[in-house]
Amino acid sequence: MTAGHLVLPGTRGRRLVDAIARHRVAAAVAGLLVLPWVMPYQALAVNVLVYGLYAVGFNLLYGYTGLLSFGHAAFFGAGAYGCGIAISRFGVPWPPALIIGTAFAGALGAVIGGLAIRTRGIYFAMVTLALAQCVYAIFYQWVSLTGGENGLRGVNAGRLLLFGWQLDLIDPTTKYYVVLVFVALALWLVSRVLDSPFGAVLEAVRENETRARACGYDVRATKFLSFVLSALVCGLAGSLMAIHLSVVPIDTLNYTTSGLVVMMTLLGGMGTFFGPFIGAGFFVVVEDVTTLYTDHWQLVVGTIFMVFVLFFPRGIWGVILQWLRP
Amino acid sequence: MTGEVILAAEHVGKRFGRFVALNDVSIGFRRGRLTSVIGPNGAGKTTFFNIVSGALAPSEGRIRFDGNDITGLAQHHFARLGIAKSFQITNVFPWLTVLENVRVAVQALHARFDIWRPRARHRDLTERAAHLLDLVGLHGQRERQAANLAHGEQRSLEIAMALACEPKLLLLDEPTAGMSPEETKSMVALILRLAAKRTVVLVEHKMKLVMGISDHIVVLHHGELLAQGSPDEIRANPEVRLVYLGQAAA
Amino acid sequence: MSPNFLLLQAFTGFALGAIYVLLAVGLALVFGLLTVINFAHGAMFAVGAYIGIFVFGLTGNFWISLVIVPLAVGGIGLVVERVLVRPLYGRGIDYPLLLTFGLSYVLLDLIRILWGKQGLPFDAPDALSGAVDIGIGYFPLYRLFLIALTAALLVGLWLFIDKTSYGLVIRAGARDPEIVRVLGIDIARVWLMVFGIGTGLAGLAGMLAAPLQGVFPEMGTPALMVAFVITVIGGMGSLVGAVVAGLLVGLAESFTAIFAPQFSQLSMYVIMVLVLLLRPQGLFGRAGLLG
Repeated sequence: MTAGHLVLPGTRGRRLVDAIARHRVAAAVAGLLVLPWVMPYQALAVNVLVYGLYAVGFNLLYGYTGLLSFGHAAFFGAGAYGCGIAISRFGVPWPPALIIGTAFAGALGAVIGGLAIRTRGIYFAMVTLALAQCVYAIFYQWVSLTGGENGLRGVNAGRLLLFGWQLDLIDPTTKYYVVLVFVALALWLVSRVLDSPFGAVLEAVRENETRARACGYDVRATKFLSFVLSALVCGLAGSLMAIHLSVVPIDTLNYTTSGLVVMMTLLGGMGTFFGPFIGAGFFVVVEDVTTLYTDHWQLVVGTIFMVFVLFFPRGIWGVILQWLRP
Repeated sequence: MTGEVILAAEHVGKRFGRFVALNDVSIGFRRGRLTSVIGPNGAGKTTFFNIVSGALAPSEGRIRFDGNDITGLAQHHFARLGIAKSFQITNVFPWLTVLENVRVAVQALHARFDIWRPRARHRDLTERAAHLLDLVGLHGQRERQAANLAHGEQRSLEIAMALACEPKLLLLDEPTAGMSPEETKSMVALILRLAAKRTVVLVEHKMKLVMGISDHIVVLHHGELLAQGSPDEIRANPEVRLVYLGQAAA
Repeated sequence: MSPNFLLLQAFTGFALGAIYVLLAVGLALVFGLLTVINFAHGAMFAVGAYIGIFVFGLTGNFWISLVIVPLAVGGIGLVVERVLVRPLYGRGIDYPLLLTFGLSYVLLDLIRILWGKQGLPFDAPDALSGAVDIGIGYFPLYRLFLIALTAALLVGLWLFIDKTSYGLVIRAGARDPEIVRVLGIDIARVWLMVFGIGTGLAGLAGMLAAPLQGVFPEMGTPALMVAFVITVIGGMGSLVGAVVAGLLVGLAESFTAIFAPQFSQLSMYVIMVLVLLLRPQGLFGRAGLLG
């Protein structure tokens, strides 16, 4: 893409992007702080938060390590069910339930990841998809624990007394900012990992496995660790989703949820820090708007996605970056 | 201790199905020397290179490094033991910067599983990477993406990456392949500079190139060891002459 | 449980497996030559079933539908390859997968727009209804027909690959333009044709499955899962692997259905996990396309 005839943005734009990149967690949190006030309604803003975090987890594996998983619904769903079952069946308060959901997703990530990294390339996508669908089938049939087809009901987070401060998750604004606290924490952790030497190894594996091995890196162990980290982040997102919705629909585990995160990440800009949230925001708004006019939002979303794959594979944020930093 | 055998191939053989690529090859590479492995195309040089660098496991025989049997070890352990290699086909991290390419390689030795402390605070890694780039003459190219370097520069970058793991043994597979005469000249100078302080094994098919710079030469032919000795001995060897002249005539 | 009953159950498994084989062979063929995984393969399966209903509604003749469906769905495949997939060659192995994933969403909604969200019935033709005595008991004639038709198609496919110059390219799995030029073949046309054949097989499988399971817009999703699992079991791009694994999954499903019905859906995943643990490249992986 040549930008010769376009007005090149000045150095000011570039400096702004660099500054944002240096303080990326703060910049992301600042954006998310005002999000509820620009979205049509607050439930939608919570969706952006939760799906955005889900995409951040996925992006860790696909954008940074180069492994395309089509089975991440398993981890999002495992987080949601793990957290939801802890609350609804065992009466666990929501903060420890979040940890339970996240840990469950991480454990499942270790099992599925351990199997899937035995394969390579495009095989990996098929294996993750099939294994995730297997998890779906198990949860679908285990009605006594999961509620089966009807989903898991009664995930009531309710109130929590925290250091003498009453937190009421029924109130949408409170709920948004409580969820944001966890999302911000996760973003900070992910940003640290990406900045660390290990983050460089992830990119090295994505760029050239053979060379990474020749440098002395255990490529399999790196992939495995990346897979589990990714599952943990997606599991936290799923746990937050359970608290947000108070129910866990069985479709949380379905392959459409896996496809959803692939779409959001690619639309936003894979391998970039802000891309996942931009993709999630774009997706949530497009879905919300199209369902006002037509039942066939999948037609609209599928077409947009194909256009991006064909013409803008770097996604929205990737294109903006390329334009500002040629 | 200069002169002792650092890497030994003992009765190494490699079969691919029914095809025998290497048969009963025994070679000892001595510390501190520049040894070249030569042979016409199809002699089994690349297979041999892949076996001593850990990319392939031999079908028969053993590989010893510093007296330890390392046959069949996973490839990433070879680098950690101190056996580094550059590839015949250029092999870098294309979309990382030149500095980052080397920094990642350096960090394999020092901070492999640091998952927490930012890279920027690992000053020593960056400094070491910068130093290696100076050594191979890429100082001015640090911030460019590796994919955008010229061919010769990419080969130099590879050597800097190979040096990053502070190798006791440096394996180079046809480092001048596809280079212009100008680039070849500076690459040969670089190899000589490196060989002054390190043990180097060079796999090459250009006989002329290795004659001037090697301490010791090993000739492979049809997967077998044909001859070894000093450049003068090799030059005088009638069998080697036959193989190379036969090739030139064909 | 009598041996004859088990044998009959095995035949049921083969009939189910026959449809799986058609699905998986189409996928394997496309992957073997183009290294493209068609994520819309399941959607093509559904499109095949709906076009079958449409043509049957027009003509009232099952056999005409049987001929037109693979041609029509194959034709859609040609357009998809030419317009959408071809620009992505050389841009990384993930892109065709991502694109066809988007396409599967579009096709699903197009089906809903054209034919509605409700499922539709599709009966086997009168000539194939009823059951026949096959020596061990009565077996539905339509299922017998499925097995026979699949066998015939596989023989035809084998002849095509073994005896024609197109087949030679397919066998070589030729990625080397030089070889192909020597043969005097335009490789882009071979890719186009193979993609068309692959999707055509998916469409045909969809129509053949319709009398067994009915027709509904989402029928492509489980079909895609089955095709993927079979490909993983059989080995990527291996046609023999697709056939063996397809029959294996059909048998496993039909036997778990009588002994432990709640696990019949899970049986194929269990096989896949075992294969991944013991032989990650698949039963026939790396043995070449026909090996």
